[in-house]
Amino acid sequence: MQLEAIKKSLVEALSRLGIDEYEIYYNSKAETSVDTLNGEINAFSSGERGGICLRVLADGKMGYAATELMSEEEMESLARRALESALITEKLDTVGFFRGSPEYTPVAAAAAAPTATELREGALRLASLTYSAGERVGEGTATSAFNYSFTVRLLNSHGLDLEYTAAVSAAYAEAVVETENEKISDYSVKMLTPDRESALQAIASEAVSRAERKLGAKIPPSGRYDLVIDASAMRQLLSTFSSSFSAKAALEGMSRLGGRVGEKIAADCITLTDDPRREGSPMHIPFDAEGVATARRALIERGVLRTLLHNRETAKRMNTDSTANASKASYSSPIGVRPYSLAIEPSETSREELFATAEGGIYITEVKGLHAGANPVTGDFSLESEGFIIRDGKAAEPVKSFTVAGNFFTLLSEISAVASDLDIGVPTGSVGFGSPSVLVRNMSVAGE
Amino acid sequence: MLNKILLEEILGIALSGGADFAEVFCECTRNGRTVLIDGKIESVTEECVSGVGIRAFRGTSTVYGSTSDISREGLIRCARGVAAAMGELKEGARVHLTERIFPNIHPARISPSSADGKYKCELVRRAAVAATEYDSRIVQAAGTLLTVDRTVQIANTEGLLTSDRHVRSRLMLEAIAEEGAEKQSGSCRPGRGMGLEFFEQFTPEMIGKEAARQAIVNLGASYISAGKMPVAIESGFGGVIFHEACGHSLEASAVGIGMSEMCGKLGKKIANEKVTAIDDGTIVGAWGSVNIDDEGTPTARNVLIENGVLKGYMIDRLGSRRMGMPMTGSGRRESYIYEPTSRMTNTFIDNGPDKNEDIIASIDYGLYAKSMGGGSVNPLTGDFNFTVNEGYIVRNGKICEAVRGASLIGKGAEILQDIDMVGQNLATGQGMCGSSSGSVPTDVGQPLIRVSSITVGGR
Repeated sequence: MQLEAIKKSLVEALSRLGIDEYEIYYNSKAETSVDTLNGEINAFSSGERGGICLRVLADGKMGYAATELMSEEEMESLARRALESALITEKLDTVGFFRGSPEYTPVAAAAAAPTATELREGALRLASLTYSAGERVGEGTATSAFNYSFTVRLLNSHGLDLEYTAAVSAAYAEAVVETENEKISDYSVKMLTPDRESALQAIASEAVSRAERKLGAKIPPSGRYDLVIDASAMRQLLSTFSSSFSAKAALEGMSRLGGRVGEKIAADCITLTDDPRREGSPMHIPFDAEGVATARRALIERGVLRTLLHNRETAKRMNTDSTANASKASYSSPIGVRPYSLAIEPSETSREELFATAEGGIYITEVKGLHAGANPVTGDFSLESEGFIIRDGKAAEPVKSFTVAGNFFTLLSEISAVASDLDIGVPTGSVGFGSPSVLVRNMSVAGE
Repeated sequence: MLNKILLEEILGIALSGGADFAEVFCECTRNGRTVLIDGKIESVTEECVSGVGIRAFRGTSTVYGSTSDISREGLIRCARGVAAAMGELKEGARVHLTERIFPNIHPARISPSSADGKYKCELVRRAAVAATEYDSRIVQAAGTLLTVDRTVQIANTEGLLTSDRHVRSRLMLEAIAEEGAEKQSGSCRPGRGMGLEFFEQFTPEMIGKEAARQAIVNLGASYISAGKMPVAIESGFGGVIFHEACGHSLEASAVGIGMSEMCGKLGKKIANEKVTAIDDGTIVGAWGSVNIDDEGTPTARNVLIENGVLKGYMIDRLGSRRMGMPMTGSGRRESYIYEPTSRMTNTFIDNGPDKNEDIIASIDYGLYAKSMGGGSVNPLTGDFNFTVNEGYIVRNGKICEAVRGASLIGKGAEILQDIDMVGQNLATGQGMCGSSSGSVPTDVGQPLIRVSSITVGGR
């Protein structure tokens, strides 16, 4: 059934149940990927899915139901399930459905996605570039080229009818390098820019050099070290602790930043912004999951917490305006709060200048197991890490199998410098994170 | 679910690009989630996951297509797409399906999809109330009841046509304790491959109290100092050590392409002789159990390590082709949008010869990890990490003060040799394991074990 026909039978079903306030959130996704192993294509995958999440207001409460099954009978059942959900929910809804923002800034149309043939060529080309990027690249080396796109359409009983489409194309290489007594791998993933050949070359050389540089890594002695945390690792830390910036988490007692707006929570060199139209990010999002027009926000300005991220409900509870960060973890999820592209702003200082002030310290290039070794509520982390000893102002011998422990909020206030090398990663779903490399002194490292 | 004639037609089309095998996986899953925060039911959501995944093989090259459009036209378009991606279109072969029914050994008594919504709300509320009543320092108790009712149908060009229904239930409670500026959390998240009857034996009150107890213990804990030391890891979710340190390296997805440190080690001694490890998808009502895997193969009790010797891997259909070894009922996927791959079900270290009290008594100075969090591993190198949610210092053979912020890191092959004492209180813990075929429910388990020396990260 087509969306218009679905909408018609759903609206009729709602009317039969006496529901006159509702929202229909339609989300469709398409993705294609081509994988190679040992230089040959070994997997091709393509998928498309679409689902409707219905929200209804009944008895002063919000009810939800969602389905991918697009049939008339299912729409009848969907309306009934949403009504039942509203009736057994206890939290009273305070905001209802949105009537619309005065203005919506259109986002640039998504670039044409590579065709399946172009993805095949891309994955194979990337494999060949990866094999030729180093002499010890061996069996198990894999590449992938993929794209995904999604469309959101939001309709509600106030007559709001909004739609956008966003898309990402990216490629990935995992290089395996072998010596007589070691076999290790590392990877690189980057967006596929219009100049595909340069993008593929950058991925291949980064994956191989990352893997090769790790050969012969040793466990460093335990102790306290000055750390230069690489942009990609810092980006992951920021992603892990990003829920602390949610006003919803703060209201639920799940964030240490609750009640701290206006206070100094980070070092002077830290400015953190969320930008739904960030330059270099493929995900440009014009409105949030409630239909509110999005805009760039500074969360931390020179160390001072300026705002948390809000949806309409948290904003009302905290007597402020929504920052248009209403989100759904998946199309069927309740309204939560999430950033779009959250990034620490870069400085003009090069990473090498940070190295120069951290002699004998460790350059952390990778942190692992963040879903377990980091607690987003308390900010505590203790993470298996990899990197290099900093010697003569450069990344020297590789080190691995040690943990870096600390607290994210303490770390934010103790960062002594940020570099210029802002790295915006490939977004996961619709959310992206970015950071430059940062310098932090006297951190605890557990190794040999 | 789809009818036999349509399935035969789709399989024929999927073969027409030169494939030597094709499979259709059809799914209709109802996922329910009831969330309680601040003492009130915050949201009740229900989602119907409905779609089809079509897969074709030529040798070890695979093509996978998925769609939520399960109309005849939608399915034919998806199957044609799969065939076209495989190669030049030819006449598809005729496929004849014969229906096979596998017995359901995990029947649900109280089906979550037909249970009263208010009853589900009550289960979550009882857990949250028990947590807040445990101690006045508990400032938040957030509870979530998750229910899954999944019906799948699998047909393939070997003639198999089968279906299965799988129900599971889980109650997760997170308690936050606060004292002054200090804030700590504790959690308890048991689940089973059962209906809501599970909460008759594992009551919501037990779940709430356990989460609260852990939050309060952590409130009083100091940070552990880093170093290498012996560690006693408690039963239940402590089994995550084996899951991360060894289990992933025994999956065909890594072994079949030479990307595991366990390649070529069958029959060799890879662990201390006290270690016997098993992956068993047949345990009645267990969190990771299913009657058949997502490729239609019945699950089995697979002995992975026996008295320290590597006996087997976990092998899906593609892995079986790559490795020339039989399938082990290990092909799993989160949903129809994922191509299945080799995954764990219920994986545990079996009971050993040591008395639990002897294990603690043997440690002069070390860590007792009572409750573990999750972790991750690089299967190629075996480097793993995992986190301790509740830990205590052991001094002179006695469990002493609580410590927090500890993580354990090491190398799979080494830690297997270093598990030098294995106790006798085998228990399991529930997790969601993420990998290329999505997030699937897995049990981890073990009795109390001792690792003679491991790096403990702290500060």
